[in-house]
Amino acid sequence: MKQLFAVIGMNVRSIPQRAGMSIATITSVAFMVAVLLGFLAMANGFEKTINGSGSDDVAVFLRGGSQAELNSVLARDDARLIEVAPGIATDENGDPIMSAELYVIVDGIKRASQTEANLPLRGVQQQAVNLRQNFSITAGRMFEPGSAELVVGEGVIREFEGFELGQTIRLGSNTWTVVGTFSTGGSVFDSEIWTDLGVVQNLYQRGSSVQSIRARLTSPEAIEEVRAYVEGEDRLNLDVTSEREYFADSAGGIATLLKWVGWPLSIVMAIGAFAGAWNTMYSSVDSRTREIATLRTIGFSGFTAFMGTLIESLVLALLGGALAILVIYILFNGNSASTLGGGFTQIVFSFQVTMGSVISGLILALAVGFLGGIIPGVRAARVSLLAVHQN
Amino acid sequence: MTEATLIRKGLFRKVLRAILMMVSIAIAFFIFAVLGAVNKAFNAGVDVAAANRLVTVNAINFTVSMPYAYYGRVQGVEGITHVTHANWFGGYFQQPANFVQTFAVDPESYLDVYPELILPPEQREAWLTTRTCLIVGQALATQYGWSVGDRIPLNSNIWQQADGSSAWDFDICGIFTAEDSSVPTNYAMFHYDYFNESLAFARDTIGWMILTTEDVSLNDQVADEIDAMFANSPAETETTTEAAFSQAFIEQLGNINLILTSVIGAAFATILMIVGTTLVLAINERTKEIAVLKTLGFQSGRIFRMILTESFLLSLIGGGIGLGLAAGLVVLIAGAFQSFLPGFGMPLSVVWQAFALMIGFALVTGFFPAFNAMRIRIVEAFGKL
Repeated sequence: MKQLFAVIGMNVRSIPQRAGMSIATITSVAFMVAVLLGFLAMANGFEKTINGSGSDDVAVFLRGGSQAELNSVLARDDARLIEVAPGIATDENGDPIMSAELYVIVDGIKRASQTEANLPLRGVQQQAVNLRQNFSITAGRMFEPGSAELVVGEGVIREFEGFELGQTIRLGSNTWTVVGTFSTGGSVFDSEIWTDLGVVQNLYQRGSSVQSIRARLTSPEAIEEVRAYVEGEDRLNLDVTSEREYFADSAGGIATLLKWVGWPLSIVMAIGAFAGAWNTMYSSVDSRTREIATLRTIGFSGFTAFMGTLIESLVLALLGGALAILVIYILFNGNSASTLGGGFTQIVFSFQVTMGSVISGLILALAVGFLGGIIPGVRAARVSLLAVHQN
Repeated sequence: MTEATLIRKGLFRKVLRAILMMVSIAIAFFIFAVLGAVNKAFNAGVDVAAANRLVTVNAINFTVSMPYAYYGRVQGVEGITHVTHANWFGGYFQQPANFVQTFAVDPESYLDVYPELILPPEQREAWLTTRTCLIVGQALATQYGWSVGDRIPLNSNIWQQADGSSAWDFDICGIFTAEDSSVPTNYAMFHYDYFNESLAFARDTIGWMILTTEDVSLNDQVADEIDAMFANSPAETETTTEAAFSQAFIEQLGNINLILTSVIGAAFATILMIVGTTLVLAINERTKEIAVLKTLGFQSGRIFRMILTESFLLSLIGGGIGLGLAAGLVVLIAGAFQSFLPGFGMPLSVVWQAFALMIGFALVTGFFPAFNAMRIRIVEAFGKL
């Protein structure tokens, strides 16, 4: 045991003598782990935003077969029929907690690229704020119904130009004033711009039609009652889903794609890093052949030589992995980005370096270190005693 | 012993080491070539854009429609050769998951504006005269196994006919291809009239217009004139070049170019470190051998050239393997990617870039070892233990 620690100590302490090769290994492992963590941070961040968006006790009503709000059209009468459905919660005045909504896709200038990108201008009714968890006005005030005023989600302000409090902004041929900013705690709605439903219908010639109706349920289970009611009512042709389901259906794609790109890429890079580590450890054994033979001569076992080499390799890989985690965490964690989401509008999200992805990165690093060290280790264990005489 | 043998012996002095370096190099070039091909496919919309082609959309956003009357008014603008219009159909085949990119277009002018689309003469005739005709791009036809003469229904997840149905019946009367494989053919088109007349709502609107100008120099003038024509109306317009429009759309997805470049950069930084340090080390080990060569009368320049040739061989063999594997993979999966990444294939430009990189890489990694080898002094080398 003492032998083992002595040899491992010698190996590790002599790393600086092979600085070039050792740094090359550390760097290659670091880049590989960084690529993995980078992609996973994007995927996890996006997923977190989507998963944080839906509630179980909010029902979303869309035109039958439309699949997404963007494709849906509902008439005024639909809202009146839903109002009286069983299972819909009411507020202290006895009014149903529901909001008929309509969004028009408008252009915003993305800060990062200075190009136009799609943003949802959502017309909502008063109860809309009670239908989103953690909704709060973070600056300014709520819009006045009937006037061309906007409240803007914090995600939009982060990623897009010109939506700061007090600004006036032209969307098509209409001029709007930003009177407030809001947050829903990092959900999809933070990537939206809100105003009064009637104003959107008016300014964008939508008559009295809406796209979706959201309503608070008395309990998550009440959705079945609502569904039965809708199916039994001949005048309604609607799909009813819980909001959580609605977002779960529309979310998957991008996060899955990112993981499907990130993992194979980092595994391919791992093969490169593995070749590098192997090469480095071979050189390490080569340069210490005499030293190893000497140790063997004075009674150290082949196993200690093997372990010394293997541990050296693992240490290098671990250093690389740790370096990558540190750098990615400092540079990436919490960074804001946006991409085109299910509603054909931008979804702003923050990169999330999660514990799970850190562990995945370390495991990948250790695997490279282990595989890269094992064969050179065997070679170290087999160094002939006669090598003492080698020059 | 010829010089070639000497170089080979030098390179494979330690076989395993040479192989490991080649593996590292192959991996980096593999990543470069695959991601390069992906990037190229993403930017296909920008690359295939005609310089004199403009897109007019509603100034609110390109998803917002505009009155059909605009089409007639734009036709009168001076400097325009052709104008056409299109509507997004939001189509799917049988099940919503079977998404089919479909546009309702003006049949004749659309082909005028996109001359790169090829339709055999008799199919072209059928397309112009058959009201229920659907022409399908080659990539899409392959994906669903459709051929000319098939009668298929397509559903829309947006539009409804006056009778409440969301399915339109079509006769596939043509399959179009493109001159250049990078031009997407993963969509289908049908007559605007057939679409418009059966609509339950939003009749007489068009999604966007595409037009060609007489000359690139007229682009700005034409765009300004169109947008000025509809200024202060409920549906103002925004006219940009096709390339700018495509570029903005790619940017909506995110900075794909930056992501891909970072990954490629990481891969190359890695092999630069690994191969660079290994080669320096390998030449150091050979100090004595090189001194022997010099004693035998090898000139410094010749030594320099021989060592550099080794790094070139290393880079070209490793890089070539990586490039070959990448090309194989891309060809293998290109079919599966056609529907959402049309034009995915191994572009020649990426292959040339890879070769340029191999040469650059060989120079960078080989120069210092070769330079050191050239400067080895016989007396000192033999004095070294």
